[in-house]
Amino acid sequence: MNSGVVGYGVYVPRFRIKRDEYVKAWGSFNARGVDEKAVAGLDEDVVTMTVESSFGALKRAGINARQLNGMFFGSTSAPYAEKLSSSTIVASLDGPSEIFLADFGFSTKAGTAALLSCLDFVSSGRGDLGLVGVSDMPQAMPIDSLEHGLGVGSASFVIGKNDVMANVEGAHSSSLEIIGERYRRQGKRFLNDSGIGAYTEQAFNQALTISVTGLLKNLGLKAEEFAYAIFQQFDGRTAYDTGRKLGFKESQISPSMTVTKIGDSGSASPLIGLCAVLDIARAGDRILVASYGSGCGSDAISLVATDHLVEGRSKAPIVESYLAQKEYIDYLTYLKFKRMLGEL
Amino acid sequence: MAYISIPTYWKSLPQRYSLIGSRCKSCGTINFPPRDICVGCGKKAEYETIQLKGRGKIYSYTIISAGGAPPEFSEQERLGGSFGIAVIELEEGPKIVAQMTDCKPSELGIDMKVEAVLRRLYEDDDVIRYGIKFRPIRA
Repeated sequence: MNSGVVGYGVYVPRFRIKRDEYVKAWGSFNARGVDEKAVAGLDEDVVTMTVESSFGALKRAGINARQLNGMFFGSTSAPYAEKLSSSTIVASLDGPSEIFLADFGFSTKAGTAALLSCLDFVSSGRGDLGLVGVSDMPQAMPIDSLEHGLGVGSASFVIGKNDVMANVEGAHSSSLEIIGERYRRQGKRFLNDSGIGAYTEQAFNQALTISVTGLLKNLGLKAEEFAYAIFQQFDGRTAYDTGRKLGFKESQISPSMTVTKIGDSGSASPLIGLCAVLDIARAGDRILVASYGSGCGSDAISLVATDHLVEGRSKAPIVESYLAQKEYIDYLTYLKFKRMLGEL
Repeated sequence: MAYISIPTYWKSLPQRYSLIGSRCKSCGTINFPPRDICVGCGKKAEYETIQLKGRGKIYSYTIISAGGAPPEFSEQERLGGSFGIAVIELEEGPKIVAQMTDCKPSELGIDMKVEAVLRRLYEDDDVIRYGIKFRPIRA
């Protein structure tokens, strides 16, 4: 591809709940490897979070929102079932009224789908600069152990052709029909899953094996040629298990595993992981990103960091600074913040 | 209830979403929200639009507690507790009233440095009303 990442930004809300709060409330905490997770404030949603992460991406890109030709938004938690979220984001950034908008959803693969679509948009010459904004705050019933790991977060990217921080050298995707794994019917608020971890892991493994091995084959690369490997993170273990099967070592995976501190941020999780890696990568480092969306499918993307990354990353806050700024809340406050005790 | 209809709210979206104000071409005063008559020179002048940076300090503040919130903010008060309302003196000069967020009322103080963020203000007519709040700039 002749387009790449020219800016990136991240946002994690201020509030956190520790796993101990769940243990006190329910007797156990069922999100493996998650120590604590981020919680959105009462006045936050995926639109407000995307605006925050987009400011960081625009700063690192050194551009004004008026220069954007496209905005690609991804989330499974958009505030409206019908009404663009991207238009609110563009308006809040004081962006242009002549711009292509595309809102993605329906699975946790929405983030990489938005990213790849924007890369294609710029590569094809339809636009010079595109913004990708991905935020998520998945919800499940508190009594359902699926709820334990659900967190929140946002990542944004500016895509362009000049002063690229990370070039995209290829992408490969997969599709498999898997039913009754992670799903939410139209009009419903809460997620469901099979409750069978092995079923989810098998689907995850198969979808990622096809996308990742296909990408490596197309590019003529081996797993050890990647400095970092970033996977969809719905808990703190599955990414390691699948990564190992695909030939990646724990040391390639662990720098991106923000799930341990923010929980499952849905469609944003692999892209927040990418931001965490872009915070530390050196020029020439090769980076794999592989998403998973239930149903199911996977997108695998290979990027290579450049000198511009090292020069530009200090222009906006890094992931670590968001992880460090936090205020703990208890489980009852958590339920109020999630409007689980009713709404007026 | 301080009901604001959708068309009225819609007309003010640039100022509510992204702090778009106006600079008087006659005297240079920055007006926020934009006005017909400039607060600086009192004339019905020509203006150019300007986006305010959204940084400033608390000029004054008060705290809204149980029973004190207007109906559209009562859910917020019930679920999140007391919250601060501040008069913010922006770097560019204008003073505006806004809610404080991501902080406890006890943290607020005169001259506290703050920055603007887009947040959900409330819902009305089944429509989400987004707008600017301010949060402390924490070093």
